[in-house]
Amino acid sequence: MAGAAGAEEPVAVPKAPPDNIPRKSSLEHSPTEWLKRMDHALTTRNYDGTFAHWQGGRVEMLRIIHRVQDGIVSERLASLDGSGREFIRTGASLTCYLPDRRTVLVEQRPAQESLVSFPTLNDQTASFYDIREVGHTRLNHRDTHVVSVSPKDEYRYGYRLWIDESTAMPLKTQLDDAHGQVIEQIVFASLTLSSRIPDAAFRPEISTEGFQWLRNDAAPQPQPGTAAPAWAAVSLPPGFRMTARSAQILPGSAGPVDHLVFTDGFASVSVFVERQTAPSGQPPVPESAAVGSSSAFSTVVDGHKITAVGEVPPATVRFIASQLKAQGAAAPGR
Amino acid sequence: MNEELDSQLSAMFDDELPPAECELLARRLSRDEYLKARWGRYAIVGAVIRAERGVRLNAPLAGRVNAVLLAEPALAAHTAPRDRLQRRLRWWQPLAGGAVAASVAAVSILWLRTQAPADGVPVAARVIAPAQVARASTAGAAQGDSYVVPRPAPSAIAVPSTELANYVVAHSMFSPPVARRNLLSAFMTSEPGNAVAEEPQSDVKIIAQ
Repeated sequence: MAGAAGAEEPVAVPKAPPDNIPRKSSLEHSPTEWLKRMDHALTTRNYDGTFAHWQGGRVEMLRIIHRVQDGIVSERLASLDGSGREFIRTGASLTCYLPDRRTVLVEQRPAQESLVSFPTLNDQTASFYDIREVGHTRLNHRDTHVVSVSPKDEYRYGYRLWIDESTAMPLKTQLDDAHGQVIEQIVFASLTLSSRIPDAAFRPEISTEGFQWLRNDAAPQPQPGTAAPAWAAVSLPPGFRMTARSAQILPGSAGPVDHLVFTDGFASVSVFVERQTAPSGQPPVPESAAVGSSSAFSTVVDGHKITAVGEVPPATVRFIASQLKAQGAAAPGR
Repeated sequence: MNEELDSQLSAMFDDELPPAECELLARRLSRDEYLKARWGRYAIVGAVIRAERGVRLNAPLAGRVNAVLLAEPALAAHTAPRDRLQRRLRWWQPLAGGAVAASVAAVSILWLRTQAPADGVPVAARVIAPAQVARASTAGAAQGDSYVVPRPAPSAIAVPSTELANYVVAHSMFSPPVARRNLLSAFMTSEPGNAVAEEPQSDVKIIAQ
């Protein structure tokens, strides 16, 4: 898999950290085990790849570099086209370079927060997704297992993944809408698994001279007698449950933001609640946005701006955002 | 596009290009819109040939493409590629030669068709200017075929405002690895600007003569 030369795995492939999945022949792993092996490979292996991202009729090239060294995760995702945008993570520090806006966002996560905080597959996941292996095929001269994750309702997207048999890396990923139509695709043009990746690989290529730097402060401490209301969802789409909650200040934000995370074991939705700063007298205007196939929806409830973001259909973020209420307040209509 | 570049593109897609050349070509891809479009078409044509899901091809057009492919002896079943170059050329060779113009038009139509969902709800599609296709020769193509680009429904363009960027970055830490890569990749490549509804484009009639 080193580059694209001969498309065969190099003689000495760096050994992957143990994934605690019982060793079987590659033909015996269940589809769910393949997904777990894939997640483990993506989060623990060192790799450097170039891939094509297809969405909405456009194809863009990006490069991703990922390293785990001495327990610290470093990652760099860079657009290879003219935008120059880059996302770099080093341990708990996340930096997003937006040269088109001459802005750099720096977010410092709490040191004790686990960086492996994404949802994990569980028995309940099967209630909402049909997970099955639909093929065992060659892709770019590599043996891959094709695993299909099909949603059972309209609240989630589906995936089709071509998982490399040897390394469990996803060589190709398709995202499907509720009709089974491919709406997003990622295909690796080159992918190298390395035992060592130098620190220099995680430095941005752009110059940030003259850029505005927006950083977040440490998590705010509540003032005595001024505890903010706790927010919760009165109702959620089937299978979704809250798995994380934190208070933080986002880069450039005026005040603390409640961050709630909901997941169904495969997809996740974040909800951000912050005090509305819009001028009084103006009616709240719900806003929708899209980031590729992911969705965002903002609305105002009880003087607070509520924004839901997640890799789910627009109707799902809209529903979840509309169900947020400060605890003790009356339930919203559906 | 010259033959050498096409060969490199095909080789990279087949994972047969040396790493150094792959890197150079990937960087060129990032700057060259035409090359990017070509790369995208390789992906689509490959998907069609492998009969992958989500890539639709109507029966008459599929028959014409198959006929072109089967006409090439190097692509007949059980014919082993003679050498590395021939393996690279097995994809696009049918698209060259005598029926090149009509075949390119067919591939272009393939590209356009893949943008249209099965349920008829159109999405934004790349439109090929009629003048480009009008220059295609008639060799090998059915007479009187036409294809109308589906009218795309209004859709919100990605909104990479700084505020949205905050949310995306904060959320990305809680996304599954694959979804997270998709989300951040989409964010890296989204167009700057405000969220507006795209105006539907006028239907463009493409005629393969």
